[in-house]
Amino acid sequence: MSLAGLAILVALVALAACGRDLPTAAVVPLGLPALPVPPDAPLQKARVDLGRTLFMDRRLSHNNTLSCAMCHVPEQGFTSNELGTAIGLEGQTIRRNSPTIFNVAYVEQLFHDGREFSLENQAWGPLLAGNEMANPSIGYVVEKIRTLPEYTGRFEAAFGGRGPDMMTIGLALAAYQRTVNSANSRFDRWRYGGEANALNAEEQAGFALFVGKAGCVACHPVGEKAALFSDNRFHNTGIGYANSMELPRRHRVQLAPGEFVVVEDKALDSFEKRQPDVGRYEVTLDPADSWAYRTPILRNVALTGPYMHDGSLATLEDVIEFYIRGGIDNPQKDPLLKPVGLAPGEKRSLAAFLRALTGDNVAQLAAEARAAAPGDALPAKDPASSYKRPY
Amino acid sequence: MKSKQIVRRPRLSLIALATAAVVAGGPALADETSCSPFTPLIKGQEDLVYVWTLGVKGVGDGSDKLVTVDVNPKSKSYGKVIHKLSVGGRGEIHHVGLSDDRRYLWGGALDSNKIFIFDIGTNPAKPKLVKTINDFVEKTGFVGPHSFIAMPGRMLITPLSNKKDHGGETGIAVYNNKGEYVSHNAMPKEGGGDGYGYDAAINPQKNVFLTSSFTGWNNYMMDLGKMVKDGEAMKRFGNTSVMWDMKTMKPLKVFQTPGAPLEVRWSWKSGDNWAVTTTALTSKIWVYKQDAKGEWQVKDVATIGDPAKIPLPVDISITADSRGMWINTFMDGTARYWDMSDPMKPKEVFNKRIGSQVNMVSQSFDGKRVYFTSSLLGNWDKKDKDDEQYLKAYNWDGKDLKLAFEIDFYKEKLGRAHHMKFQARDLSTLKPLDSAQSALPLLAQSR
Repeated sequence: MSLAGLAILVALVALAACGRDLPTAAVVPLGLPALPVPPDAPLQKARVDLGRTLFMDRRLSHNNTLSCAMCHVPEQGFTSNELGTAIGLEGQTIRRNSPTIFNVAYVEQLFHDGREFSLENQAWGPLLAGNEMANPSIGYVVEKIRTLPEYTGRFEAAFGGRGPDMMTIGLALAAYQRTVNSANSRFDRWRYGGEANALNAEEQAGFALFVGKAGCVACHPVGEKAALFSDNRFHNTGIGYANSMELPRRHRVQLAPGEFVVVEDKALDSFEKRQPDVGRYEVTLDPADSWAYRTPILRNVALTGPYMHDGSLATLEDVIEFYIRGGIDNPQKDPLLKPVGLAPGEKRSLAAFLRALTGDNVAQLAAEARAAAPGDALPAKDPASSYKRPY
Repeated sequence: MKSKQIVRRPRLSLIALATAAVVAGGPALADETSCSPFTPLIKGQEDLVYVWTLGVKGVGDGSDKLVTVDVNPKSKSYGKVIHKLSVGGRGEIHHVGLSDDRRYLWGGALDSNKIFIFDIGTNPAKPKLVKTINDFVEKTGFVGPHSFIAMPGRMLITPLSNKKDHGGETGIAVYNNKGEYVSHNAMPKEGGGDGYGYDAAINPQKNVFLTSSFTGWNNYMMDLGKMVKDGEAMKRFGNTSVMWDMKTMKPLKVFQTPGAPLEVRWSWKSGDNWAVTTTALTSKIWVYKQDAKGEWQVKDVATIGDPAKIPLPVDISITADSRGMWINTFMDGTARYWDMSDPMKPKEVFNKRIGSQVNMVSQSFDGKRVYFTSSLLGNWDKKDKDDEQYLKAYNWDGKDLKLAFEIDFYKEKLGRAHHMKFQARDLSTLKPLDSAQSALPLLAQSR
């Protein structure tokens, strides 16, 4: 066989491999349930790889500055550790904290308020939201991707000859995100892997509190064979209520390491007012859902601060203190939230347990994402200027 | 860009020779806001002020633009906008810097990362956009090109952020006068460094330049009120400054200057050997000086206003004789004049409210004319009635500021007025640095 023939054979074999479904078990570490994959959106390597590149591409925003990964930073737990609430194109305010992408395949209703139901559809939310990536239209995104050289032939290879369009872009991004699964933590090896010493005594005590006295398990369930640490439901903890009712707040502001001042809200009257946020109510229009937000999956929780839907709690210790106080009282507060008396040592045990939920592949997932980042060369022409009807 | 711009590329080994007199001897070199010592200065009456102006949605064409204002009192169009040049889009344009021959003006955009090069030599009253650099992120990995400091045949650029996470870790970059990438270096993270960057100022006599540190895209693009309430965001400010070897572009020493040190300036007084900065969050003045052993040290020498109220000192402008310095505090809209005759014991001797939010300040070489603008960053500016946008020119007699003229940048449908640079209509009296031919008379050739 000639060298050229060998090259073609290798290419065909590679193509065939790309088209094969990935065994989902390969992307489900110990401790996670079976991966939910839509029957019409099989996991295939070419789609996953393509989605990973799209996820990392800053040019997918209108002005070429924001990728998905700028708010879901791979090295920062696929969220942003440096912001309470995210900001979008031209610095516009986003009301809520960037949720982590870790294990997002298991989230039944996406966004903090559950307004979207599939990763394929969800992908278009940030791409088109005026305060996020702010693309002017679906077609604008499609045309831009079509003209970027990094994507030449890749959609066609991944989708049986079909090029970039609204469907295939969503499918590719969803395929990648369904592989960002992280478990096999020390907790998993202790509970599901038969390693009795994988958790130390303090962490085991923390787990006992988690499923017992502290009551965390009511919203963050732990199964016999797997654990999501989320009930995938929506709860009112009072944080959203306090924001909406503008309960007086004083902010302890860091000026430099170890140097703080206290600033009251009224001192900031000259700047942007807090944007309204009624949580799940905005989706269902049911007053009972006011200020309810989705229970986050606690896996890798040590890596995904700051916490809560508005990023208002900086540390796991802050979160524990918040919950043992029973949250913030309000008419629709979830009755599951009740004050709990925990001794200082118990709080430390609980925090230690939460820190044992870090998966063993977080560095690998971040490295894979970073390696997939495309170049930064800007499109030669604006998509709206280059577009020509192909038929 | 046409090739005529690049006529001189002196070897770096000539730089120290070429500029040995710049700081130490000969006529004092004014900061003239913040010019590089390699840029010829206007010592007499400036004719024009360029105002790098942020576009605002719903204001005029909404585009970023370079606005040219006639500031010569003898001119019929004194105090008027005589030219505006839109560059398209709103990219969070911020600072401008003059080329080594004062015939080109570089302007950066902190969000779009574009760098615009204007020809201000062919017809200074009608700047022309001759090149847009689009490869800054691609070449350097940095985001937010901020300061532009001329070096012979080169432009030193200090960015604020990075493309990886839009945080504050960044570096420095060098382009040549054609607008082509040359090199870049990371800000140091060892030796106490935090990797953050902001401004730079060169002292050729000592073969050093000094850099300061601010914050990354996440913060400088965010609404100021939102950021102050965001505990995580407030942890992400630079707390260091760095002395660099100018020839090797290697860090020499990292200083702890907590609270976001911003503009850095060297004293231009003959025989002086100190630099100064202010920290935006901690409201302090810091002076850098060599000790008896020749090692650079830094000391906080004074407090500006009431730090508990976060007055937010922003731009500074040091006088030609280095005996005084203007410091603007953004939150109370006040310009403060500090007596710097003893730089280790500076004193505030005058202050005046300029407007709701005052940010940049530029003074003429003789210090008699002082110009103020209003915009800090697009999303840090105040909102609604407090969002005044202006250029205000004052005469300073050493005792009081008297308003000469003002331009309402909203009324004129221009946008947010930010950084300023002066220019003369007749550049024939300005001699560009030409160290390959003649190094020493540089200052004598200033206008």
